[in-house]
Amino acid sequence: MSDRVLPTRRDVFRIGGLAAATVSLGACASTKPSGGQADASAALRVSLAADATTLDPHKQGDLPSMNVLINIFDTLTVRDTADKLVGGLAERWESKDDTTWRFHLRKNVTFHNGEPCDAAAVAYSIERLIDPDTRSPIVELRLVTGAKVIDPHTVDLLTKEPDPILPAKLSLFGGVIVPPGYIKEKGDQAFAEHPVGTGPFTFEGWQRDSQITLKANPKYWNGKPTIERLTFKVMPDPSSSLAALQSGEVDIVTGLTPDAAEQLGQAPGFKVVTSPGVRTYFVSLDTEEGPLKDKRVRQALNHALDVDALITSVLNGAAERTPTLIPRQAFGFDPAIQPIPHDLAKAKSLLAEAGHDGGFAVKLSSSTADKDVVQAIAGQLAQVGIKVEVELLDPATFKGRLVSDNRKALGAMYFVGNSGWTMDASSNLQSFVRHDRRQSRWNNPKADELIDKEEQSVDQEMRGQAFGELQKMLIDEAPFLYLYQASILYAVSDRVQWKTNANGTLAMATARLTTS
Amino acid sequence: MIRFVGKRVGHTLLVLFCVATVSFFIVRLAGDPVQQMLPPEATAEQEAALRASLGFDRPLLDQYVSYMTGLLSLDFGQSVFFHRPAFEIILERLPLTIDLAVAAMAFTLIVAIPAGIIAAVRRGTATDTSVMASVLVGQSTPAFWVGILLILIFAVNLRWLPASGVGSPAHLVLPAITLGLYSAAMIARLLRSSLIDVLGEDYIRTARAKGLSGVRTVASHGLRNAALPVVTVVGLEVGSLLGGAILTEQVFSWPGIGRLTVEAITYRDYPLMQATVLFLAAVFVIVNLIVDLSYALLDPRVRLT
Repeated sequence: MSDRVLPTRRDVFRIGGLAAATVSLGACASTKPSGGQADASAALRVSLAADATTLDPHKQGDLPSMNVLINIFDTLTVRDTADKLVGGLAERWESKDDTTWRFHLRKNVTFHNGEPCDAAAVAYSIERLIDPDTRSPIVELRLVTGAKVIDPHTVDLLTKEPDPILPAKLSLFGGVIVPPGYIKEKGDQAFAEHPVGTGPFTFEGWQRDSQITLKANPKYWNGKPTIERLTFKVMPDPSSSLAALQSGEVDIVTGLTPDAAEQLGQAPGFKVVTSPGVRTYFVSLDTEEGPLKDKRVRQALNHALDVDALITSVLNGAAERTPTLIPRQAFGFDPAIQPIPHDLAKAKSLLAEAGHDGGFAVKLSSSTADKDVVQAIAGQLAQVGIKVEVELLDPATFKGRLVSDNRKALGAMYFVGNSGWTMDASSNLQSFVRHDRRQSRWNNPKADELIDKEEQSVDQEMRGQAFGELQKMLIDEAPFLYLYQASILYAVSDRVQWKTNANGTLAMATARLTTS
Repeated sequence: MIRFVGKRVGHTLLVLFCVATVSFFIVRLAGDPVQQMLPPEATAEQEAALRASLGFDRPLLDQYVSYMTGLLSLDFGQSVFFHRPAFEIILERLPLTIDLAVAAMAFTLIVAIPAGIIAAVRRGTATDTSVMASVLVGQSTPAFWVGILLILIFAVNLRWLPASGVGSPAHLVLPAITLGLYSAAMIARLLRSSLIDVLGEDYIRTARAKGLSGVRTVASHGLRNAALPVVTVVGLEVGSLLGGAILTEQVFSWPGIGRLTVEAITYRDYPLMQATVLFLAAVFVIVNLIVDLSYALLDPRVRLT
């Protein structure tokens, strides 16, 4: 090929120059980052791992939606920063009889649209939630049959069986109060797109899958929040959300994993905040079949685990050991109960006693989200000769099998987490212990009896005793491998002052920004 | 020509019908949205009640027939999680997806065409080798890594551009580059090899012999004849860019169709999964149709076959 066919050097530069010019034009047009630095002094920006699915508080059950909605709506009861149950929209409450709870409402509370928040609104909200046509995924109020207005500031909730922890359940989204007039006038869809509540922030805008903006409610009954504007930014990729924190586009990153927190390290300008969580993790054992039928084997497996080592090496310390399934903050937790000690010799002798001195093979399933922990557990159990085959499932498949009617769908052992958001041990035990519950794989009439006792009585002292006995049984019978309660990790900019809460939702009413 | 167009349109409709049918049944093998919606502590009765109120307890064939009849009036059903019509949700994401696809395609062409031409005309030289080496790197680097790298450089260190999100043209720059890089590399390679073939043809020698300059020979004779395979690939790339760039959208928190698809799958939201699958299929077959038709315009021989 001769040189004459080729474009000259100048031609090449011309073409190349065009490309370069276009690229630099793009760069020039964008030298001002629009990450919201303009009004950064008054605005708090929080990252969310996913968008809210809907802003109708009765139709959601996912953490991102809850994080947004907890700032727009109020519940009848709330947890204070010390996790104590205190009044929200209800000032006080009492149990009238076994199946009636009476709530006395706070006066002069109005919704963001001016509508009064009274007993009629509470009754409407409860009825709306339990109406099957609402298709609510909120299940806490399953025993509630209805609500009765006594006077404008008093309302009774009726249950079909005694529900001793109903007031605690109402601190969750089952206890959210929505505006009847607004919903009737505008319809469900409009309400879900432009929610109106009584909460510390009013809704301003929602760009789907990108951001949700809220404004301080100047008439909030508990005092106007100090933050003028609260923005939730949807950032599904954990590394990008940390990059956004470092580049000053967000102030708080949620849903941090321990390794991401470590990666962030000691960089200036922000810190990693660890808040004790109530989600407990454990391994469910199939006590009805195979070697795990033998209680000595189950005890041996518990002795073989070195939970403290798991916490320090896999979770970088972001967890606290739990003796059974109940987190330390929950009502019913018995501090006298000690965790099963790590003791390899004891584990081996128990296995030998049960006729398994050569060990055995077993499957351990988990969601891919927990792969590091289950692999470490498999490694620890190998030390006493148990050959663990780890099966990792995508989170949705894992959950599908967990709640399916087939209790063996996840195999002989599976690793699972469970949030007892009511802060009452009842929630931690309800699905896993009584033999007829959906995730139970243990049949023990004595334990069933104790569950009935704590679930059906409103006498807290009696319930406390039942929980104490249950925890002793859980240690002795070892139908699970007990692990830890995980802490919640946030990366927070130094300009934010904010107290976290144990259930992990991002209530921002009392957060402050330092003006530096 | 009309017969040709009619036949192609007929094919397109048939493909869409098959996709709608297959996706309807396949999503139902993937798991159950009711199980994803409810917390694990829900009772069996609560689960059954929710399933019934969503209509998922009806016989499968029954559900299929109402789905297909709905499609005729563009009714894709109501998303289970978002409590809104699935079609409306897709339409809402579409403009952002188009923005990103157009910007990425612009970047692709701006980079690929000069790179391909330079490499072809300087074939065998150090310039060719270095262009092709960069192209190879571009093609083999995964989008999530490029994305994070660009964020670290331009957002975290230099603070020139926002790290993620949408809102201004500046938000578009990094995702467009990330997304366009792979196609740019691929198209540059393709253009180079196609142009090398063409430049060896007799008519190029004729053009040179009649005294055309190097640039004009390449531009009007070389490029035009080398364009055909490139147009096909550009067309298909537009299809895949519109179909959503799942990784890029994830890294840059770009609320497009790709992320919507992932969300639909994560939640096992049947109506939304069906709608996104059908939408992606529609984009591909329509782009294919346009490419086929444009072939017929570019190359008269195609119409005859």
